[in-house]
Formats: sequence, structure tokens, C-alpha cells
Amino acid sequence: MADVNILELFQKAALEVDNRKLSGLTKETVISSLGMDSVAVMELVSYFEEKLSVRIPDEELGRVRTLGDLRDCVARHLPPGTQVTA
Amino acid sequence: MNPPPAPIGLVESLDSARDVHDRGFTFLGGAADGTDLVYSFAGLRQEAIKRAHHLRALGLTKGDRVAMVIPDGQEFIPTFLGALWAGLVPVPLYPPLALGKLDAFMEALTGILIASTPRVLVVGAKVKPLLWSVVGKVATLESIVDSSELGKPAPGADERPCPLEPGDLAFLQYTSGSTSAPKGVMVTHGSLAANCDTIAKLAVRTNASDVGVSWLPLYHDMGLIGHVLTPIIARVTSVFIPTLSFIKNATLWLETIHKYKGTLSFAPNFAYALVTKRARADQLARWDLSRMRIFGCGAEPINPGTMRAFADKFAQCGLKPEAITPCYGMAEATLAMSFVGLDQPLKTDAIDEASYHGEQTARPAAQGKAQLDVVSCGKVLPFHELSIQDDTGRRLAERVVGEICFKGPSVAAGYWQNPEATRAAGMGPEGNGWLRTGDLGYLAEGEIYISGRLKDILIVNGRNYYPQRIEWAVEEVAGVRKGSAVVFSRPGKSSEEVVVCAETRDPDREALRAAIVAKVNEDLQLAVADVRLVPPGVLPKTSSGKLQRRKTREQYLADKLGKEGVRTMGDMGQRLLVAKHLAFSLMGRARHSARGIVRRFLS
Repeated sequence: MADVNILELFQKAALEVDNRKLSGLTKETVISSLGMDSVAVMELVSYFEEKLSVRIPDEELGRVRTLGDLRDCVARHLPPGTQVTA
Repeated sequence: MNPPPAPIGLVESLDSARDVHDRGFTFLGGAADGTDLVYSFAGLRQEAIKRAHHLRALGLTKGDRVAMVIPDGQEFIPTFLGALWAGLVPVPLYPPLALGKLDAFMEALTGILIASTPRVLVVGAKVKPLLWSVVGKVATLESIVDSSELGKPAPGADERPCPLEPGDLAFLQYTSGSTSAPKGVMVTHGSLAANCDTIAKLAVRTNASDVGVSWLPLYHDMGLIGHVLTPIIARVTSVFIPTLSFIKNATLWLETIHKYKGTLSFAPNFAYALVTKRARADQLARWDLSRMRIFGCGAEPINPGTMRAFADKFAQCGLKPEAITPCYGMAEATLAMSFVGLDQPLKTDAIDEASYHGEQTARPAAQGKAQLDVVSCGKVLPFHELSIQDDTGRRLAERVVGEICFKGPSVAAGYWQNPEATRAAGMGPEGNGWLRTGDLGYLAEGEIYISGRLKDILIVNGRNYYPQRIEWAVEEVAGVRKGSAVVFSRPGKSSEEVVVCAETRDPDREALRAAIVAKVNEDLQLAVADVRLVPPGVLPKTSSGKLQRRKTREQYLADKLGKEGVRTMGDMGQRLLVAKHLAFSLMGRARHSARGIVRRFLS
């Protein structure tokens, strides 16, 4: 996989999984401020894992607050050579 | 009815599984290499003995509390059983696996640890680094132990379980989201045996070919008692899906039932809605759900529409409509109170809406009149009683709405170190044996119908939350008038939804709304479905100035919030409530139209 833009992918995921149109996302956006329930948020995580072929360890989820945190977390587990931007 | 035959205790039952090698528990992906891990019941017994040995070696003795934060079932279950074997009192707690919620989790965890006074906290290896910081905050805590340490070989371990009496405490069940005053239900070995035994023999009627499938969290009563402890007593082979795997991909639940030829599975309403939405055509074409005897539905209000949609969608997989089994229970009753009969499809009672709200009676609706559909949760468990009572404890007649009360050997001993709450719920030595559930409902032809709640607790995705706690969070947001936040639930598509009402003078309503949504989500891991901001003086208060949560909810659901006149301040003004408002309340019209909205929403 080439470059991955987390903000774009998150927007796409929210639409597909939760039928939610998001705009104005930045890497400072706090995920919990988007008003999605906890089940939908975990479905989004699953969407990321599937699309990027990564596995985010359960115990790292608690520290993912912002989209920037999500980018860092995903980047840690992607195969070398793939760029993650936000 | 004659008294029940003395049921066999859980530990005694586990002890007698010494030679049961052909049945047991399977943990999906539970082995170190990611394959399934299987324990026969004999193997589970051995594993419990080993862990009991290591726990005793820590100096723990009968009655000591052992808190547990263990995400993986294959570690949680043997550790829990080992603690019971040693006569210890496990306190199962939920793990920190929600996205971005570590701070809120730590606060809630600390509150429960301080209240339950454990000497040891047993944790899963992966979450251990996250939990170190609680040690200094909980005075009774001597050590944090990695659960895998307890799984190490223990040659020469004492095989005998600690002698136990029915009145001995088995474990503490913390069910609510309140951090300031968490309430731990005291499940005794006697109440546990009574409930598990009755569920297995007389409600579920387990047999040798049953296979249970569960993704439910193990710190929750339905997951722990319904899908772990009852199957041990009844020797029901069971398959466990990690909760997070289900949440990430709900179809794994039915995939597992298909693959392992499942016959029994319990879940809250929201899970049925989620899996109905997520199942794909290719899965529907492939799955065989024809062996399922019971798809139990409990732990939160049951939406008949959700359950019908589930039954319809999976009929093509061979799902029998009578497999849908509503049930009713709560931690204070250990777990179950009532079950729908096994051969009975989903049954709803169409009652007359006007007399329900006007006279608090549940009359069958006449043709063409506005009606409410209420789901039957079946008959009370054998050897137990359900009654409907008014607030003075007087029993009410059939089809009269009042507080549901429950009596029998399954009732828990009370709340841990909280005599006031124990007394208020009718439990403990001072009670008259009737547990006051806080739920509203009625009895008709021996079946129980739950129609509402006296308590203001919100149940979202199967978890309980106290509204006060959410209101405090809202009031911390700049711009919200202090003491003016009211939080309640409204029926949602798959679970209840959270509504916040608050008074403000802030002209930037949009920004304030966003701030409230963010704050509640941060602090309580809850999504807010609607924020209604009104000018000061609008939310209904009692004459003593207390906000009226139920009345606010009624006005909100009837779309009358802020439209019934402004509450004038001052002693005289509070008594002189706006006439229109009073008239609506007295006639019950606000409630009437509220129900209309709810019904349309659900249909």
C-alpha cells in the first residue's frame, strides 16, 4: 500500500459504518467529540484494520483520543514503507 | 409451592467435574498461537485448583476480596473459579479497552476499588502496564498480580476447596456507571446456586447436546452467570468470543453459532439490532441457525420491532421464531427472574394507551384505539414469586401498573457496605423478602410485562448509568447554568439514547451543544443523541427547587419543553406554576402524546 491519509479514511469510514457525514477533521479532532456511540467507534477501528491490514492491539485503544493519536497508532503497526499522513 | 430442593453449589459442582472430559469451554483464538483454546470441565477444575493455590500463597484467606481486570476469557474464568475455590470474593471489573477512554476508566476503576476494599488486583498481562497508577490510590491494595502468574504449575496443590455455606459471599457485582458511590451487589453461594440451578433445570432445560455461544463481557451478570457459571453447573459445552471481536464485527456471533452448532445464546437488544444490520447476503445464504433453541434477550428494554426484524431476517437460515426468548433479570436477583416459555414465539400485549397513562392500568386495547405494544417477559422462575406493588408495599391486582417486586432464594444479600441502599431495595435481614426492582410493569395471566422504570437509571448498550453523574459532567461545561442540567433516555433504534436538557444564557448554542457532547463522551464514554438548550427558568422544578427529571422527559417526548410557560422564580412563583403546564400534567396529556411519539418511533 502507498500513502494513507487518516483524515480521509476516517471520513469514509464514518460514512460507510455509521452513515455519518463528517467535515473539517484535523489531527487534533477528538474522536469522542464526534458524537458516535462506543459500538460505532469500535466498528470504525475494525474498518481501519481491514482496509490497512493492520491489527491495533486492544490495550493501545485507551490512549487514542485524537485522529493524530490514531495516525500514530496505525503508523506503529503498518509494514515499513507505507506512509501515514493526517 | 414446596421449597426448592437444595441446589448444588458452584464449587461443589466444579469439584465433581473431575472426570468430565467430553464437555467444556472453547475460547476463540485463546491459545498463545492464536488458535482456539479448549478446557474440558475436568481441565477447568484443574486450572481453578492451580490458581486457588497461588492465590492462597499470597496470604489471602476466606472472604478476602480479589479485584479482577482480565480482558481474556481463558484467563478470567479459571482465575475467577480459583478465587471461589479458595473461598475468596472476586470483584470482576471491566477492562480499559474503549477508544481514548483511559482517564475515565481509571477514575471509575479507582472508585470501585476503594469501595470494595480488595487486597489484591489480578490483571491481564496486556493491561497491567496501564493499571499501575491505581496502587497508590487504594489503601487496601497490597499487590497487582499478572493472571498468567496464577496459571503457572503448582505441584502438590491442595485439591480441597474451602468449605462454604450458602450464606457465604461468592462475589461482588458492580453494575452501574456511578463512580462516586458504586454499588456492589453481594451475590452469595446460596443465591448463585439457586439461580443457576433454576435457570438450567427449569427455564433453559439444558441437555447434553446443548452448545452455548457468548460474546458477552465476563464482568457483567448475564455474561458471567448466564454463560459461564450456569453452564458449569449444567455441564453445557460453551464457546466464548472475545467481546471486542464481536463489537468490531458483529457477524462473528452468528458465524460462531453456525460453525460450532450453537443452541443457546443470550444478548441485549442492541446486539440483535446490530447483527441484523450487518449480516451480508452471502452469510445469510450459508449460515445454519436451525439448532438454536434459545436466543435470549435481556439486560435492557426489549424493542419488539428489533426482535421481529431479527427473526424475519434469519428465518432463511432456519431460525425458528420460538427461539426468540425474552427474559427479565438484574444483578440484585443474582441474574434471572423470568423467562418466556421455550415453545412460545415473541408475544406482545396491545394495551390501551389512554388508560395506561390515565389510570395506570393495562387494559387490552379496543380496535381502532391508540395502543402500546409491551413485550411479555414470561413467567417467574419456579420457586420464586413476582408481584406488583404500590409504594407502600400493597400488592396490586392483575393489569394494574406498579413496581415489580421479586422474592425467592435467588435474591442477593444486599449491597456491599451500604445498608441504606440495601434497605431501600428491600434486601438484607431488615427487608421483608421482596426485592424492589425499581422497574414498572404489570402481570397478566401470570406473565410479566415491563413498561418503564421508577429509577432514573439509563441503560445504553446494556450498561447502566446514573443520570446524576452525567448531569454533573454537563454542569462543568462553561455556559451551562449550575444545577440546571437534566439527563434522561429516549427510545432509540437499537438501544436507549441519551438526551441532555440544560438552561443557558449563552447565545452560541451550537458551540455549547458541541462542548456538552464532547464532555459527556470524554467523561462517561457515552454518546449524546440530543442536546436541548433552553433559557433559564424553563425546566420544571419541584416546589423545593429540585429539578424534575421525569417531568422534563415527558415534556421533551411530547415536544412541549419550553412551550408550557416559564417557571417563575421565588417562593410564591414556584407555587404558582403556569396554569397551562399544571393542566397538562394533571390530565396526563403530556404523557399521552409522549407515548404516541415513542410508538411511532418504534414502529
